[in-house]
Amino acid sequence: MEMNVTETAEGVTRVALDGRFDIAGAQEVDGRFAELAETAKILVIDLSRVTFLASLGVRTLMLSAKTMTRRGAYLAVAGASDGVEKVLRLTGFDELVGLYPDADRASAALTARAREFDSRKE
Amino acid sequence: MPSRDFPGTVEAAADAEAWIAGESGELGLASDTTFAIGLCVEELFLNAVKHGHANKATISIWTEPDGARIRFVDDGAPFDPTTTPAKRLQEPGPDFKIGGFGVELVQKFSRRMTYRRADGANHLVLEFDFGLRNGSGAGAIPA
Repeated sequence: MEMNVTETAEGVTRVALDGRFDIAGAQEVDGRFAELAETAKILVIDLSRVTFLASLGVRTLMLSAKTMTRRGAYLAVAGASDGVEKVLRLTGFDELVGLYPDADRASAALTARAREFDSRKE
Repeated sequence: MPSRDFPGTVEAAADAEAWIAGESGELGLASDTTFAIGLCVEELFLNAVKHGHANKATISIWTEPDGARIRFVDDGAPFDPTTTPAKRLQEPGPDFKIGGFGVELVQKFSRRMTYRRADGANHLVLEFDFGLRNGSGAGAIPA
């Protein structure tokens, strides 16, 4: 599975995945996800080119969610197909992390939430 | 009927999934059916190897007038997914537990499951609709 990471001017780290998020795919990206979960402040995972998702892929996403929740960082998933979204909902992942139709809307929502939180601290 | 044996290793799960995806394509199954079958095969395979310590799994696929079928036979410890409680994320919070979602996915992505234990092996037949379906769960019938 291909994994492309970009940073936006707003400080959002976008991860675009391409391929099958099965056991082989999860093994390929586990390490990089673990690093990103430890460093990114706002992380948007674009699944629009992911054609398949199994429980080990969900596990990778949940581990990132767990790490980022503990750090007080922000995570969203975007662009899931019907089948991929069904897997995310059946496992309860959607109760941890927001699901958005596309990466732009996910980025906008998380950036706004981070700004709101930062303004409360000031 | 296409059928193939796979060794009981975690690495072979990817081979099994690739094989079943190819066979689903040969049978002309819809993309959502192919997705569901691939998902069930991967989850069953990993369960059989990691938890049942199976040495071998045999997978078959065919179609009937009312949908597709797969048979999954493994020589691991007895395991009946038709009577195993489904598991999903419980009590989301900082310390939530991760894992064990495979049975839930197999139950929900198949239309019906039939299980029997015979000759020291688990025999599971899963049924799938041909096309897009919106139903929520399998009618599980222990054999």
